[in-house]
Order: sequence, then structure tokens, then C-alpha cells
Amino acid sequence: MTKHKTKLIAAACAGAMLLAGCGKKDETLKLFSWSEYVPQAVIDKFTKETGIKVSVENYSSNEEMLAKLLAGGGAYDLIQPSEYTVQAMIKENLLQELDQAKIPNLKNLAPEFRNMSFDPNNKFSVPWLAGFVGVVYNAEVVAGPVVGYKDVFTDEHAGRIVILDDARETVSWGLATAGIPINNVSDENLATITPLLKDWLGKVKVFDSDSPKTAMSNGDTDIGIVWSGEGALLFAENPKFQWVMPVEGVHMFVDNLAIPKTSQNKDKAEAFINFILRPDISKMISDEFPYYNPNLEARALLSPEQLNNPASYPPGFDVTSAQLFTDLGEQASKVDELITTLKAQ
Amino acid sequence: MAVAAAAAALAAGPSPQRRAGLGPWFAVTPMLGWLALFVIVPTLMLLVISFCERDGLGRIVYSFTFENYTRAFDWKWLKILGISVWYAFLTTAICLVLGYPVAYFIGRSSERVRGLLIMLVMIPFWTSFLIRTYAWISILSQDGLLNALLMTLQITSAPIGFMYTPFAVILGLVYNFLPFMILPIYTSVEKLDGSLIEAAYDLGARPARVFSKVVLPLTQPGIAAGILLVFVPAIAMFAITNLMGGGANPTIGEVIQNQFTRARNQPFGAALGVLLLAIFIISLWLSSKFRRSEQE
Repeated sequence: MTKHKTKLIAAACAGAMLLAGCGKKDETLKLFSWSEYVPQAVIDKFTKETGIKVSVENYSSNEEMLAKLLAGGGAYDLIQPSEYTVQAMIKENLLQELDQAKIPNLKNLAPEFRNMSFDPNNKFSVPWLAGFVGVVYNAEVVAGPVVGYKDVFTDEHAGRIVILDDARETVSWGLATAGIPINNVSDENLATITPLLKDWLGKVKVFDSDSPKTAMSNGDTDIGIVWSGEGALLFAENPKFQWVMPVEGVHMFVDNLAIPKTSQNKDKAEAFINFILRPDISKMISDEFPYYNPNLEARALLSPEQLNNPASYPPGFDVTSAQLFTDLGEQASKVDELITTLKAQ
Repeated sequence: MAVAAAAAALAAGPSPQRRAGLGPWFAVTPMLGWLALFVIVPTLMLLVISFCERDGLGRIVYSFTFENYTRAFDWKWLKILGISVWYAFLTTAICLVLGYPVAYFIGRSSERVRGLLIMLVMIPFWTSFLIRTYAWISILSQDGLLNALLMTLQITSAPIGFMYTPFAVILGLVYNFLPFMILPIYTSVEKLDGSLIEAAYDLGARPARVFSKVVLPLTQPGIAAGILLVFVPAIAMFAITNLMGGGANPTIGEVIQNQFTRARNQPFGAALGVLLLAIFIISLWLSSKFRRSEQE
């Protein structure tokens, strides 16, 4: 919710910059990123080393970013879309092809992140961080065993559950439980899982995508389905918060840096991408946001404590086995309608 | 903006009818420009978009359709609207009951005390309402301050789940909107002529009768303004309801916000927005009609 304030401030800054910089070519790199995802220290260091000033604006969903970008405001130089949005933007010809010669640090990425299905050979995008969606539970209260989504929505846990406030995610858990591939979001499949979701959502206490860990650490919920970074922070706070990769199938998201077609500062954007791929810089990002770091050289710098956090780096998990979202297009509206109306029942 | 202006007009009472020259028009030009730019143009945009379609990425496609409205008049959306109106009604009623005595007390205190008390009502506004709402979360959560207090005093043996309930939603709304009820009523009470109350007592009226026949009618413009200032924004509020209610009972404000973001359906969100606007306009029109018939 702080992002509303951030937005206001950003708008005020943008206004001030307009007044100050009339008629001058804009030399700042305009970064449009997720709220709470880019450490200020990284930006400061980039400016200090290269002399390039960076202005930051935040968004809280891929769709919000797309809406603003397509509306033509802002003229952003660098955006941070998730995998399904990269896919859609490549298809719609909204991204600039990267000049890989200017990004030599690409070699630091783990091979499995160099050639992902949504953007083969990193032609348009470079992974920032990846993460999983899984189950977190308070082992002092929940006896277990907890292995997947179905163990969350039991009668025993009714009224003590927190889940992401994200319609697409919720639907994907239902599909996975019903044995349907998570990207097959047809009307028919939605109808199939509606009774299941209706039962599930009736038992949920809190829907929160921004900070689901709050309801867990405040004791208001005992079990939930959250982002792995949130699970990692909970585990680091107290090991009683156990992390489980769901047996029904794991959904992985990959957030990337990409340059929109409208950017006039491609060189600077590429310099920034190369900068964050440096092991020491990428480590700074991991220190603050304990998601899965695709940068192998950076991972070598992490502490055993960070690497042993089961939510950040699930032991024995092969990331190539995880499923990625593909773009839903207009079906996104149906997914949202289903979840909203089930919540309101 | 429009709501505040209407509320101010209500609080000021009926305007005198007078002919004016061209001069005043120059004076109000900035205001009219502001209204045109930030009220009329956005409203027209909303209206136009609500009849449009959209593509897979959520871009607006300018081809005419009624579909957004036929979809909006579905029972499931009307039910959510109904719940939002109910929350707003409860919030307004509680704010009125709590706010009126406070406003009356402040308005009838000595001038020095009055300034201090109004200051106390205003001080919370120095902090963002979001931060104040987060403060309530740490007070009401299961491991929070209130439960710790209740258990230390041995009033309860187990923590009570205050958070993420309709109770928490109403509490958050009342807390945030209470000053909007107190301030306009206070303005009316302050203007109240004390000699009228004395006259009523001299003529033998009891306190209850003085209140219902003298005080209440004279402070009625403040009450009307307060109701408007609380009820209208409370219907569309989404941040507080989402934080305090845990998102489990979506309000119409949350649904509209979702259409403009995750659901990628701005035209449908616009249609819901237009419906909400229509409800406000109708209720404003009804309340002004009601007031006029009362004055006659």
C-alpha cells in the first residue's frame, strides 16, 4: 500500500522535473520497477560509478505497468516485467532487442536462465530474480504433514489461512490440484475447478499479495500460500515457519529487466542491466530480497545461512521442473471475475 | 472535489439570489478551469471508455458496445455494491452518533479551548491514513497490543481475532472518517445563536424538546454536509477495507481498482465507475430536493 504514496511522490517529482528540464534532452535513466524490489543502495552505487542519474517509479502488478506504458506516459527506459508479460510484449513488438555485446556479465547467469521458453537466448530480457509459490506453515500450531495445496484448505485450518490476493495464482493452484496444466485457463476448466475454489476461498482469512508474511508473523494465520521471498523472510525470522514446495506442481515466476520500444536511452539501460549482473551487485539484491538468484557468480558470494534457507533455495529442487505462466490475454478478466465473485459469496 | 463543493454549499445554507456583473466571472475563471480540467474532462473520459472494448493486453479499443453495462447489472456485482453501501451506511451512522456530541461540545466551549480541541481532531491528519491504518493492524492483530492488554488484565484467556473481520473494516472506516463528520457539524454549532436556546428554555421547553426543536434544525446543514462527506467517500474506499478486512469481502472500490490493474478491463471498470457516479448524483439530487421541500 505504500506504493500509493510512492506514486504520489513520483508524480510530484516528475512534475518538478518537467518544470526544471524544459527543452533539455533528458539524461536520466527512467526505471519503472516493482515496488520494494530494487535496493536504493544499488541505484546509488550505479550513479556513483557511471555518473548516470536514475529516476525510479513503481508499480504493483504487470498489468499496471503495461497500462501505464501503453498509455504513453513516462517514457520509461527500463521495466521489470514477469515472464508472461515479457512473452506478451515480445509478441506485440513492444520491446527492444538487447545488444548482448554490451552486456558481457550475462555469462554470470545460470545456464537454465539463459534460454527460457518465454525469451530464448535472452534476446529481449534478462532475469532479475526468480521465485516460487509455495506453502508456509507455523510448525508450532500445525501438526502436519503438509505436502501441498490440499493440506492448506482443510476444515481444521478454516479461518486461519492467508493466501496471495492474486486471481491468476489462485486459479493455478486449483488447476494443479485437479491435474490440469496451469496455463489451460479455458472456460470449461474454470467451471471444473469452481466448486473446489469455492470451498477453498470460504476458508481463507486473509488475501494479501503485498505482505502476506504480516498475517503469519502477527499470529492471525497458521498456514498459507505465499511468494518464496516472503517464506524466506519468515523462516529467517523464526524457523517455526516451515516452507513446502507443493507436490501438485511448483509454479515459478521470473522477473526480468527489459527495454521498452519507446526508450531513447538504450545504452544507459544496457549499462544498468550489465551492472546488476555483476556478482557483488547481484548479491546486494539477494541480501535484501531473498528470492532465487539466477546469477551463479552472485550465489557463490552468499552466506551459508542465505543458501540454506529452504524457501530461497529449496534443497534438491530442479528449477527446470517448475512451471511458468504464459500470457492469458482477455481470459485474465474471466479469472478475476471468478475469484472476486467467489470471495464475495 | 465535487463532493466537497456540494458539501460546502450545503453547510453554507441557501444562497441569496443576486445579480452580478462580469467581474466575478473573472474571479471564478481559475476555479472553472480547474473543474473543467480535473472533474469534467475525466468524467467524460470515464463515460466514453465505459462504452469501449479492450484487447488482450488491456488496451482500449474504440468500438461501441453496451456489454460493459449489461455485465455490470449482474446480481454478483450488485451484491458487492450493496455490501459497500451497507458498510458506508453503518460508518456514516456511527460517525454521526459519535461525532455529533463531540462537535456540539467543541462548538459550545470557550474560544480558547475550542481551538485546542479542533487542533486535536485535526492532528491525526498530519500522518497518512495508510500509516494510521497500519497502526490499527498492530493494535488489533492476534499478537497485538489490545489482545496483550486484555490477557494481562485477565479479561480474556485466549486472544480474540479482531483483525480481518467486518468489525475491523467498520472500525477503520469510522476512525478515518470521523473528523469529516465532526468538522462541518462543529461549524454549524459554532454559528448557533445561544439566545435562541435560552429563549426556548424561558418559554418552558425541556432539554429534549430544545434539542429536537431548536438545536437540531439549526445544525441540520452541518449534519447534511457531514453525512455527505462521510457516506460518499466511504462507499468507494478500497485501501482501508482491503487492509482491515484482509480482502475477503471485496468492496465496489476494490473491484473497480482491480479492473484497471490486474483484470486488464478498464472499460468494465469505467462502467462500474459511471454507475457509482450515477448513484452519488441521484442521492445528491434527492437530498437537495428533500431540503427544498423542508424549507417550503
